[in-house]
Parts: sequence; C-alpha cells; structure tokens
Amino acid sequence: MKQKITYLGRVYWSLKSLLTGMKVTLKEFFTPKVTEQYPENRKTLKISERHRARLIMPHDEEGNNLCIACGLCQNACPNGSIRITTKNIVDEESGKSKKTLVSYEYDLGCCMFCQLCVNACPKGAIKFSNDFENAVFDRSKLVQKLNK
Amino acid sequence: MNTTFIPLNEFRSQMETLRRDKGMDFLRDMIGMDWGEDGLGVIYLLENSATKENISVATRTTDRVAPAIPTVSDLWKIANIYEREVFDFFGIIFNGHPNLRRLFLRNDWVGYPLRKDYDESEAVNPVRMYSENNQNDCTYTLAEDGTIKQIPDTLFDNNEYVINIGPQHPATHGVLRFRLSLEGEFINKVDIHCGYIHRGIEKISEKYPYPQILALTDRLDYLSAHQNRHALCMCIEKAMGLEVTERTQYIRTIMDELQRIDSHLLFISCAAMDLGALTTFIYGFRDREKLLDIMEEVTGGRLIQNYNVIGGVQADITPGFAEKVKTFCKDILNKLNEYNDVFTNNIITRKRMLGIGVLSTEDVISYGCTGGTGRASGWSCDVRKRHPYALYDKVDFKEIIYNNGDCYDRFLVRIDEIKESVRIIEQLIDSIPEGEYKVKTKPIIRIPEGSYHAAVEGSRGEFGVFIESKGDKSPYRIKFRPMGLPLIASMETMLKGNKIADLMAIGATLDYVIPDIDR
Amino acid sequence: MYDFSIITTAIDQFLRSLMPSGLAIFIECVLVGACVLVAYIVLAIIMIFMERKVCAAFQCRLGPMRVGFWGTLQVFSDVFKMIIKEIIDLKRTDNMLYNLAPFLVVLSSVLTFSCLPFAKGMEVLDFNVGLFFLMATSSFGVLGIMLAGWSSNNKYSMIGAMRSGAQMVSYELSIGISMLTLVVLSGTLQLSEIVSRQSDAWFIVKGHIPAFIAFVIYLIAGNAETNRGPFDLPEAESELTAGYHTEYSGMGFGFFYVAEFMNLFIVSGIASTIFLGGWMPLHILGLDGFNAAMDYIPGVVWFLGKTFFVIWLLMWIRWTFPRLRIDQVITLEWKYLVPIGIVNLLIMTLCVVMGWTL
Repeated sequence: MKQKITYLGRVYWSLKSLLTGMKVTLKEFFTPKVTEQYPENRKTLKISERHRARLIMPHDEEGNNLCIACGLCQNACPNGSIRITTKNIVDEESGKSKKTLVSYEYDLGCCMFCQLCVNACPKGAIKFSNDFENAVFDRSKLVQKLNK
Repeated sequence: MNTTFIPLNEFRSQMETLRRDKGMDFLRDMIGMDWGEDGLGVIYLLENSATKENISVATRTTDRVAPAIPTVSDLWKIANIYEREVFDFFGIIFNGHPNLRRLFLRNDWVGYPLRKDYDESEAVNPVRMYSENNQNDCTYTLAEDGTIKQIPDTLFDNNEYVINIGPQHPATHGVLRFRLSLEGEFINKVDIHCGYIHRGIEKISEKYPYPQILALTDRLDYLSAHQNRHALCMCIEKAMGLEVTERTQYIRTIMDELQRIDSHLLFISCAAMDLGALTTFIYGFRDREKLLDIMEEVTGGRLIQNYNVIGGVQADITPGFAEKVKTFCKDILNKLNEYNDVFTNNIITRKRMLGIGVLSTEDVISYGCTGGTGRASGWSCDVRKRHPYALYDKVDFKEIIYNNGDCYDRFLVRIDEIKESVRIIEQLIDSIPEGEYKVKTKPIIRIPEGSYHAAVEGSRGEFGVFIESKGDKSPYRIKFRPMGLPLIASMETMLKGNKIADLMAIGATLDYVIPDIDR
Repeated sequence: MYDFSIITTAIDQFLRSLMPSGLAIFIECVLVGACVLVAYIVLAIIMIFMERKVCAAFQCRLGPMRVGFWGTLQVFSDVFKMIIKEIIDLKRTDNMLYNLAPFLVVLSSVLTFSCLPFAKGMEVLDFNVGLFFLMATSSFGVLGIMLAGWSSNNKYSMIGAMRSGAQMVSYELSIGISMLTLVVLSGTLQLSEIVSRQSDAWFIVKGHIPAFIAFVIYLIAGNAETNRGPFDLPEAESELTAGYHTEYSGMGFGFFYVAEFMNLFIVSGIASTIFLGGWMPLHILGLDGFNAAMDYIPGVVWFLGKTFFVIWLLMWIRWTFPRLRIDQVITLEWKYLVPIGIVNLLIMTLCVVMGWTL
C-alpha cells in the first residue's frame, strides 16, 4: 500500500481488514470449545508423570521405605521444608549402633519444588508425585509425615 | 574475566574516552561490589555495538562512610537507573547523578543490604505498616571543600494532575507503579517505581550453595526460566571447566527456543489484551497451553521448569517429545496467520501501534534495550549471534531486524521470531545425538577464585550472570543482568507527549516482566 | 396479524366500568409501569447471560457452566450477590450527585425502552414525534455518566467520564443522521407508522444501498453510544480499571451494568424497528402462502428475534476488535461517519425524490 490512498480507499481497506478479523472469530464461534471442566473431567485428566506436586516416600507392601536417615535432603533444601528426626538403634547381632528414621516431616507450604532433595537422595527413597490436589483448609495440615 | 581497575581520579576521563573514542556505546551491566578491605566500587561491563568487542572496567573507593564515584549517567542513559540500583544496595553516591534515590527499597530503609557489613536484624528494618512518603529527587554534588552536598528537587508540584498507574493495575503486568502527570489525556512526566516484589535474590544467593541458587533463577523472569537457568549453569560450568555433552547442548537449545515461543505467544496475547482485544488474548493462551503441556511432560513444570542443572539437564527427554514438538511447530505457524488476521493486520491495531513510542537506534543502544525492543529499532543485539553459545553457531537462523522502532515493529519482531525459533527447533529436533544427558559432578560444587560472566539471549533480551567467587561453595557476589530494567528505563523517553492509551500500547510491546526487574 | 391493542382496550373498558376514569387511568399507568420494569429486568438478565455465552463461544470457551443447567442460573446468583453487597460510602465524594448518577442512567434507559414498539398495539408511547422523543430521552444518559465520574472524586473515573462525554455527544450525531436517512424514506417519525410502512418490504431492502450504509453507520455509532467495545474507552479496563463506575459498589454498580446492557438492547431494538421492519413478519412479494404462514408468528417474537440478531452482531463486533484510542474515536466520528452519513442522507433523499426505492 505504498501508493497514495484516497479517502474512500482508506474506508475500503479499513473495512476489509475488520471483516477479515470478523471472519476468523465467526469461524471460532462454531469450532469445538477447548474449556477444561476441571472437577468433572477428573477421569480423563492427564497430568504428566514428571509433574512435581508433592513429595512422597514410596513404601513397599510391608511398609518399609528406603530412607537411611542420612539427612542429605534436609541439607539440600533451600527453604528448610524437610525435617528429619532420627534415633540410634543398636543392632543386636553386630552390636553397632545404626541411625534410623523416626519421622520424616515435609512442609508442603514452603516447598518450592526445586527437586534438590530428590537429586540429593543416595537411595532414591523420596520422589515427587503428580497428585496435585493438595488444597487444605488449615496451614498446619500442609505439614505431612511421609514415613509410615 | 579480566577487569581493569581505574583509579578514582582518572575514572571520569577514562570513561569518557571509552565512550567517545573507543565506541563502547553499550553498557551491558553495572555491578556494585563490596570488596571488604579494598573498598566499595562498581564494575562496568562495556561493549562496542559495532565490533562486539567487550571490556570490563572497575573503580573503587575505600571510603565506607560516604563513598562517592563520578556518575556516567550522561554517557550511557541506562546508567541513570543502574546507578540508582547500586546506590540502593551499596550506598555509593554518584556525583552529578540527576535524581539519585533508592530504586527498589523504601526510602526509609536503614542500611545498604548488599554491603558485607550490613546489619540484617529485624530490629533495624522491621516490617513497616505505614506507607512511605513519595520520594523527592535529589542531586549529589561535590562541594568545593570536598564534602558531598545534597540538593533536593521536587518531582511533581501540587498543581499537577498526578495519576498512579499501578502497583495494582491490569496494564502493568505485575506490580509496577507509574506516576504520571497528565495534561488532559496527554502525559507530561513519568516517574517509575519498582521494588514492590523485590525479593533480594542476589542477597539470598550469597548464602546459598550454587545448586540452590539455580532454584531461584526460574523465579526471575518466569517466562524465560530455561534461558535464565541456562545462563547460570553455563557460567558455573565455565568457571569449573566442565564440558557438557552434545546431547545436553541439543536439549538445552531446543528447550530455550520452546521457551522463547512460549514467551512470545504470551506477549502476543497480552499485547492484544492491553489494547482491548480479549478474544486474541484467549486464542494465544489456548495455543500456548499445548506448548506448556509438552514442556510439562519433559520438565515437570509449566512455569517453574527446573530443568537445567550444573553439568546437564534434570532428566532425559521423553520418547514422544520429538513428534509432539514437530506437530506443535506445524500447528503454531497456522495459528500465527490467525492472529495476524484477527489482530495484527487489523486497522485499529495498526492505528494504535504505528508510529507510537518510537525509540531510535542510538537510544536503544544507550539504554541497553536488548531483545525484541532493540531489534525493532535496528540494533543487531542478539546474544545468539553476538556471542554464540550452546548450538547457536551451528544452526541456521536469521536475526529479525526492523527499523522503525515503534510499537508495531516491536510486535512484528516477536511474531517473526516465533517463526525463526520454529526453524531452529526443526533443524535440531531430528538429530539429537545419543549420549548422557548429564555429566557427573561432585556433590558439593565449588568455583575457583575469580570473576566469571556468561550471557544468553533470554526471551526479552540479554540475560547475563556475573559471579565473583572466593572459592567457596556459594558466591561472594552474584549479579543477574535484568532484561526488563532497561526497558522500563526507556519508557520515559517514549511516553512524553503521548496519551494514556499509548502507555498501554508501549508497555505491552516492551514486554517487561516485573520479577525480572525486581530481583 | 395479532393486534395487542384488543387486549389493552378490553382491560381499559373493564377498569372504566368499575371506577371513575381518572382512577382507571392511574391504575393503568401503574400497571404499564410495572410491566415495563419487569420486561426491562427480564431482558437484562437474558442479555447478560447471552453476552457471556456468545463471548465465550467467540473465544473458544464454554462460558458459565456450573450454576444451573449450562449456567442458566449464573446471572441470578450474580444479581443476588450484587444486591447483598455493601454500598460503600466514600469520603469526599459529592454525595448527592454520587447517589443520583446511577438513577439518571437507568431512568434514561427505561424511558427510551418504553418507547420501543414490541408488537402491533404493544407500545407505551406512540405519538407523532416518537423517534424524536426516543433520541431525546436516550441522550441524557450521558449526564448520569458525567455526574458519576465527577462526583466519585477519583481521577480514573474523571478521565473515564470525560472520554464518555466526548464520545457519546459526538456519536449522537451519527445516530441522528442515520435515523434521519430512514425518516426520509418512511416519511414519518411515528414508530407504529414506520413499522406498518414496512409491511411489503423492510426498509433495508426498500432503501437498498443508502439504507444499508445507514445501517452500518448506525451499528458503529450505536456501539459507541452504548460504550461497548471497540469503543469502551470510558471503562477501558486495561487503562482506567473500570472508568466512571470504579467507585460504585453493590447496586450502584448494578444499575450502570444493567443500563449498559439495556442500552444495547435499545440500540438494537431501534435498529430492528427502523431497518428490519420491527414486529412486521418477513413478507416476500408474490409468495402469499409463505406470507400467511409468517403472519401466524406473533409480532413480539419477530421483534425480539430481530433485536437479538442485531445484538449478536454487535457482540460479534465487540469481541473481535481491539479498543480505539480517544482521538481515533473522535476522528472516526467527525472525519468518516458524519461526512459519509450526510452524503448518504443526500443520496437517500435523491432516491426518494426520484422514486428509485424498491
């Protein structure tokens, strides 16, 4: 549109550009909608495997976990959202004392999902799950005990 | 990185020589430093925009009570706001600066937080429950007897119609505050207030070990989370002499470009929303959603990605990744046509953007407005071309340059950059080599003593990381070059004489992200 | 063809037989007033729901889905929320004007609304300068908006109100000119007469090209007159947060909101009356069977059908375009719409004089 544009030409080009836009919206008016109706579509909802929503500690069928209470995750956490309590148990056979886990407390409220704890864990005892429905009514409920 | 120290008395004349004779017209970054015994000072990273030659110079003073350094704000326009930042955090007074006052912190803040002898106790700076007074400008000059004199100077007088845009306002894309003095619909004066969400990331980082700092970079400019983390990882790897695998480089490059598309899609949507086209806004977010799904599958996050780690990436790409990316790339090119039809080529959009908020090439260089804003004004400032990193010297892509420097060009640059990003991804996606995605590193990462700098092209400009290390597991000083601070600094030139509605068009097309400004 | 006046006459006679005529007229006035207000509210609710759904459809969304089937009860819950909200008293506002402003806006739109001919015999006011009266009443809504902006003691509101004043006063002109074009064609200002003269063909067909141009100008100016996008500068949410009604809460805001929607209905109603034949069914010359079948559909349905079609058109425009800037709004009016409208008026006059109408 380098040439000199007349008054009516301007009206024509403007209207044309407006109508092109209206054509697009009209097309979208009849296309299927993309809204996700969240609580209703729970069954079909796909959350990717790697999504980090909550730290969990997997347990096997007998209720054992892999945690050796080394405290590396606690050190790695920038926000101090992990607190490990340990006690020393003396092994009867060998007589050596061994550090074992009493409670593994995790504060979801101040976790920033940086995955440093999971990276730090030498045993792979903790991981992030994609279970994202973590809303609670009370802040104190966000502090979870991960071991059984 | 080699820094040349200039003695304080020669500093001003040497800087003038550098600027005028050596053509160092781009002030990449200005880093305030507290060297402890050696005094307080500033490191200037300079670049010649024509030859791409880089140097870094520094100056310092041992006076800790009233440290003063001559200003360079008349040589580089961006120094104006950078000097305010340094003043805010280090208390260094820049002699002759036109309005030296705090940039991020409240003006009743006690102490200068980034000094090593700063008192952190809450008794000194309690949470104040009253609002601060509006700040007045002041100028510092060196009086003849050698003392520094403060000359107050009011910004707005009582007769002016001053209106606040922000901190809570739909058009500021976050918590930024403009004070505008209006004459009818026209803007007379602008004053920009930052710092509403300043988190002191640079201060926190001085205590964190390096891997933990990585977790914070995603929270700077959340729309270039990958690039930010890439820059820090690159800087640390460079310092440690760590070589990452070819596969990592491929993955990082592809993810950077995906992130760029993501950011530009959000830019298009939000620019449309600021101009009142809500439908285009929803279309943009609809298509961005598909990209976020792809990224979530690989990285596990939608906004906070946590993907790059020192020595590689967090996890290998998923098996279906390449296919999904290729489908998306094909799809997005069609969608761009749709946006063009419904928004870009629209007569109303053109009228709102053409010729509005013009920045000249000299201005963008002087302000250091990199990214789309710089390229729309005809400055070839793409870090991917200037100082290639990762695989950018191996792929074939065009640096998009427009010359008018108005809002419309800034908008078009982003649309064309999406196309270029798609081209880069298509070149790489089929040839990702086999190999390790991460090289093993020691559990505790230490960086040898020295200062290091790395820069990447973020979604909206050059993102730089500067690390000064004393050999510890956490940095002595870390500085992130914000992409947005030069952008909002340049708004003042653009806004004068324009209308309120133009503020939205200009702000939208500058595409600043507040958490990046308020680090 | 149904004639609604049969019912009204019957009621009138029934009342007069029971009581003196003065009292009967008083009761009739109250009844009519009540009917108008009820219709006003019902239509407003329908339109708010329609706006949400239509807007959602244009934006590839579903819109409200939760409250009631397909979100049908959403508007009611919103109205309920608005009624129970606290009305906030602000310091340093001009209290009387601040409280008066929403009523002025609603009053203007109710008055205009009651002029619309819904069906044959179903109009409250039908006198020989109907169209003129309608324009007069619709134009003092701007007063309420200006007062709201002024009395709120808020700088955003003030700018919004100023923009609104400039815009609405300007666009009144275009609306007037395009209406005038049609008045030239119809030869009368009486609304019932305008409709009945479209029994053979709607004016947009009868007046062909000039009528169509007038229709387009009317739609643009009407959109601007109701402060809807792309002309929603007085309340541009990304610039002035909410413009002139920023400070209003509860029903104060509700009045502005309802009045805005009803102004849209009024604009569309007038468009359908003067361009699309009002309550007149679709008649095609020569197809008597078809015409007779069309006559069985009541006039109200025709009127509302046409009106809602025009509303849909306006919503389509609103949800497609970005917002103009204030100087561009004024430029569009004074440099484009008014000159084109005036030339169009001349062409129409020429057509009518030369008998070139269909």
